[in-house]
Amino acid sequence: MLALRCILGDLRGRLLRTFVSSSSLSSAVRPTRQDVGPQQVRFRSQGRDSASAAKLKLRTRLLIMLLFGGGIMAAWWYVSWEKQQKLRRQRVEQLRQVALGQGTFSLLDHHGRRRNKQDFLGSWVLLYFGFTHCPDICPDELDKLSAVVASLDQDKSLPPVQPLFITVDPERDDVAALARYVQDFHPRMIGLTGTLEEVKHAGRDYRVYASAGPKDEDGDYIVDHTILIYLISPDGLFVDYYNRMKNQEQIAESVKNRINGYVKI
Amino acid sequence: MTAPNSAERKACWDARDLLWKCLDDNDDRAASCQKFQSEFEANCPAQWVKYFTKRRDFLKYKEKMQKEGFKPAEGPQEAS
Repeated sequence: MLALRCILGDLRGRLLRTFVSSSSLSSAVRPTRQDVGPQQVRFRSQGRDSASAAKLKLRTRLLIMLLFGGGIMAAWWYVSWEKQQKLRRQRVEQLRQVALGQGTFSLLDHHGRRRNKQDFLGSWVLLYFGFTHCPDICPDELDKLSAVVASLDQDKSLPPVQPLFITVDPERDDVAALARYVQDFHPRMIGLTGTLEEVKHAGRDYRVYASAGPKDEDGDYIVDHTILIYLISPDGLFVDYYNRMKNQEQIAESVKNRINGYVKI
Repeated sequence: MTAPNSAERKACWDARDLLWKCLDDNDDRAASCQKFQSEFEANCPAQWVKYFTKRRDFLKYKEKMQKEGFKPAEGPQEAS
């Protein structure tokens, strides 16, 4: 890019010099036409011509400078826009290579109905893995998720986003437990559970790490797990993720951009 | 054992916050905050009490590291 500016600056210099020399040439030509005349006239006419030539030179120079300045700025904008596009493409490529969420899952929702991944195709999904006995992180993240969905609901131009909660603790989180849990969050949120095998399968799809801790005297335990909100496109493919660091506004903004920039495969 | 609902979670978090404020005011002297400690333990499942206690220790440790800097442990000396 620097090279581009260098070249343009050089070109500008050359052009300015030729313009200057050409206008000085034209002012030199006129006095010789009037060569029948006293020295003074020649000088005066030369003076007048060079004054107007100087004005011309200045205006032309200014114009050229503005044009080239504008040209350089336009070139710079274009290059930086191109770079942004490249970065965006790289990220999409990276996510595509990771290719999470290619598989299918089959789980029970919190009403006891069987749901498969196909049921959610065609809508944007925000997915979170957690468990109902979670002390603070899951409620926080689910509150954040609910707030994101609520704020996206405000925008009428966007399709409704489906919030999903899949448990990593199927031993304790049965249909009834999930029903009790999700009612504290967004009304459209669906809680999903199943057998240990079904849940493990769903988790594997998204490379979710989950590890139940030791049980205490109450039989209670904490499940250590990946804390991420996954964004899934209507094609059922994972397109982005948001960790604890992203706040509600940032996530809503990112989801909105993804939806608007979405190209159907 | 059913999971705490939203109201129970809030009660636990509030009790925890009161306890932590007391500890902050009293320079982490647990003896001065017995009342809050028992409130906290009454409002939260045992597993959560353990979790939050460990969390506080971690946060204090992190603060210390950020303020005082980190001295790496003496590992085996590399033969140069």
